[in-house]
Amino acid sequence: MNISGILVVVPPARIEGATRALNALPGVEVHHTEPTTGRIVVVQEAETVDQEVAALSRIKALSGVMLAEMVYHVFDETPPEWDAIPADMAAS
Amino acid sequence: MELSRRNFLKSGVAAATAMAVGIPISRIASVAAAETEQDWRWDKGVCRFCGVGCGIMIATQDGKIVATKGDPDAPVNRGLNCVKGYFNGKILYGKDRLTQPLMRMTDGRFDKKGKFAPVTWDQAFDEMAIQFKKAYEEKGPTGIGVIGSGQWLIQEGYAMTKLMKAGFRSNNIDPNARNCMASAVAAFMQVFGIDEPPGNYDDIEYTDTVVAWGANMAEAHPVLWQRVIDRRLGHADMKVVNITTLRNMTSEGSDLEIIIKPNTDTALLNYLAREIIHRDEVNQAFVDAHCVFCAGPTDIGYGMRATDKFAFEAEKDIQAREIEVTLTRDEAIGLGLDPEQVHTIKQANAATADRHWLVGFEDFKTGVEPYTLDFVAELAKGDAEESLDAFKAKLVRLADLYADPKRKMVSFWTMGFNQHVRGTWVNEQIYSVHLLLGKIAEPGNSPFSLTGQPSACGTAREVGTFSHRLPADMVVNIAKHRDITEQTWKLPPKTLNPKPGSHITKIMRDLEDGSMSWVWVQVNNPFQHVANANHWLKAARENDNFIVVSDAYPSISAKVADLILPVAMIFEKWGGYGNAERRTQLWREQVPPPGEARSDLWQILEFSKRITLAEVWKDQAIPGLKDEGFEEGKLPDVMASAQEMGYQPEMTLYEALFETPENKAFAWPDPVAKGHDNHTVKHLGVDWFVEKALFEEYAAFGRGHHHDLAPFDVYYQDDVRGLRWPVVDGKETPWRFNAKYDPYVKNGEIEFYGGAMKELVTGNLTGPTTEEKTKFPGKAKIFFRPYAAPVESPDGNYDLWLCTGRLLEHWHTGTMTRRVPELHRAMPAAVLDMNEKDAEERGLKRQDTVWIESRRGKIKAVIETTGRNRPPRGYSFMAFFDESVFVNKLCIDATCPISKEEDFKKTAIKIYKV
Repeated sequence: MNISGILVVVPPARIEGATRALNALPGVEVHHTEPTTGRIVVVQEAETVDQEVAALSRIKALSGVMLAEMVYHVFDETPPEWDAIPADMAAS
Repeated sequence: MELSRRNFLKSGVAAATAMAVGIPISRIASVAAAETEQDWRWDKGVCRFCGVGCGIMIATQDGKIVATKGDPDAPVNRGLNCVKGYFNGKILYGKDRLTQPLMRMTDGRFDKKGKFAPVTWDQAFDEMAIQFKKAYEEKGPTGIGVIGSGQWLIQEGYAMTKLMKAGFRSNNIDPNARNCMASAVAAFMQVFGIDEPPGNYDDIEYTDTVVAWGANMAEAHPVLWQRVIDRRLGHADMKVVNITTLRNMTSEGSDLEIIIKPNTDTALLNYLAREIIHRDEVNQAFVDAHCVFCAGPTDIGYGMRATDKFAFEAEKDIQAREIEVTLTRDEAIGLGLDPEQVHTIKQANAATADRHWLVGFEDFKTGVEPYTLDFVAELAKGDAEESLDAFKAKLVRLADLYADPKRKMVSFWTMGFNQHVRGTWVNEQIYSVHLLLGKIAEPGNSPFSLTGQPSACGTAREVGTFSHRLPADMVVNIAKHRDITEQTWKLPPKTLNPKPGSHITKIMRDLEDGSMSWVWVQVNNPFQHVANANHWLKAARENDNFIVVSDAYPSISAKVADLILPVAMIFEKWGGYGNAERRTQLWREQVPPPGEARSDLWQILEFSKRITLAEVWKDQAIPGLKDEGFEEGKLPDVMASAQEMGYQPEMTLYEALFETPENKAFAWPDPVAKGHDNHTVKHLGVDWFVEKALFEEYAAFGRGHHHDLAPFDVYYQDDVRGLRWPVVDGKETPWRFNAKYDPYVKNGEIEFYGGAMKELVTGNLTGPTTEEKTKFPGKAKIFFRPYAAPVESPDGNYDLWLCTGRLLEHWHTGTMTRRVPELHRAMPAAVLDMNEKDAEERGLKRQDTVWIESRRGKIKAVIETTGRNRPPRGYSFMAFFDESVFVNKLCIDATCPISKEEDFKKTAIKIYKV
């Protein structure tokens, strides 16, 4: 499980529409908005890094979004057990 | 995870994010943030990836990284991160992390044909030393080599440089940074006499214009690009220009996109210089007071071998151009020659490509005169579907921006300029434009070379891990520099080898031709990232060479190695990086490395215990050494003078070079650690603070010599987020060469005080006409450099350009980013971006799998015609992160003859359906 805090910036006039559009995305929740500057803090939850990156691309693709970058990441995973020799090395 | 805990965690993350970027939140929310983080230990660090040098905060719990965030107090990124920042906490935990030494073995003994098996550290170092001594005894200091990195920590690069140059007396040490920004370095030295930029990132917030030259900043430097975009939104006059060979993400944020043909940047810059002169916009007072004009030879070759003995049959036609070149019509015009005549030119200055001399302003003016709008527009227009008139209008618009005396200009560039057979020239030319205008060394006016690696500046350049360098911009072939270094390192006179060693491409060539047979690779993946890879893979596996690779993951280089040493990664060790704006940043060890993995520094020091002074400080043969004060082809035995200094023949290099009385004075534990561990010290079994001692020893080279670093402990203060050198009297230097900001300026308001190559003979555009040298201290050079065609261009057989580069999601050869398995599944393979019409013409469509073939090899890949990179007709692009596609099997290993940096941007290919 990965949880990310993302800063999104939109033109101030469009902050309400952007908030609705963001909340409609799967795994995305708007937590804080700053109407004067158009800044929005969203939290995104994803099973995998892949989903996380794809979801960030979806946010960037929303109409009016000028900036969307990750600020904060929490990793809630157990580290792997490492092999003596990685599988694809054993063959070489 | 329980729902309630997860919701609580999310509130905390939201509140912490808001706080990081300065959005006011309620007291309840801030309490949530504090509670989320209450069991975590936070400390400051630096992003592991590109050269921007973003500050990050790292949270650890129970020896593991649990969270990272953009550092709100970091002036570089102000709380933001790009997606690569996200990987800092993930890259340590890939499933195939290497955790113990692996050696090729058969029946319990080393065997080059054997399979990898786990060995102890002692077994690993013992075999490594046996093989080292075999190569060293047979071939001498030039028979061994080290390929290092712009990702080496400052202390690692310093220790390896000292071991190689002072210990082994070999200059065959070169970083992968050679292939990243050596052209930038060469131009800094040639133009200013000192390395690294006058300005800094803050220029973005002071400027009216940003021009990206061969730099896809939106993908490769996203956080800086964000600052550019912010400035554009907040400053009505701001203009952004993208000069590129294909449409890319940077075009989207630009006001003006100029698509040019490969290598025509040299012509475009001459057009700008000509326009500035013709419009009478030369800042005459600035030029008279602070500049001289220069020219150099143009018959300099392309950095290839001078023999085709090792070339594949198909490579031989291009390889012959290293000896003799027939000028293209455009090259003839650009040199002021009659284009109707055939000009066949012997490449007589291939080995002396950096030679240059003073010329007059009138000579410079004559040189740029052929670069009219008509000539340059015809030559440079890169998109066949754009009209010539539209393209001309863009060039005029660009000239309007640069030439406007009221407009502040920032020029950014990266690999488009640097990875270029005339990379040093084109770097010099952008300075020429800024110098003619006086738009330099003040807020908002800044020609700025961006870097691709986190410590290309801090380690590769400042420490001097190149084959010709010593610390603080000194070089091995100047006697005074060797003297200073020998005194600082307490070496007997003439220990250091005055003959520059092999650069990275030459190390590969040396392995192929048998002149080198032992190589140690650290913190990079050269068997994937060096061009023309088929040659080097074969040299590694089939010749009698011993390849040691220190790596965290099974990269291509690890797989072709004979011995793999598992390494500690970024936050598993104490270290420091220096970013592109001269900012030095240090961090503490945050978590322990897994298994038997150890820092590169520990590995260097442990290996140095296995070699004695008697084995290295004796007579040594150095083929081709001809320096004054040395017997030809030889380094002298220095053991007698060493013994007078207190050294003994049986002392190890560890004792002589590292565990010195001065270094042992830095005690571990140290209060600066604040409870953080140090596995390097622990496993060495010593009580001295290795990283601190080496940092301070290294810093002594630069203090008082334009490169002052602050004391080690200062970088660890809570209120410091790196400092831009020179740090003088506790103050950093934001803009160099400007008396308002730079204490080293002693004469006038502007002084280009760099000392290298500030005394030259005088001549005209074709050569020197005097033997008398003129000194010009404090001045910068404005070079005339003509247009030069690429060494290889598409023809009837290989009919398409191939350019290689980076993507946002994957970094360089992908050794780390490809380890995040989910991401790898999402973007598993590099694709070939090409123009839809070029695909149609070949009976292909997007998603077809094709063979891509060059003179050097062929690979299979999927084509894409609707990706985020949109090449014009005749052009294609592929990222180099993917070892399964392995684009460097195709690329030519030609280099800029001055900088020795490879040109990964211009290979001719053909494609056909599988």
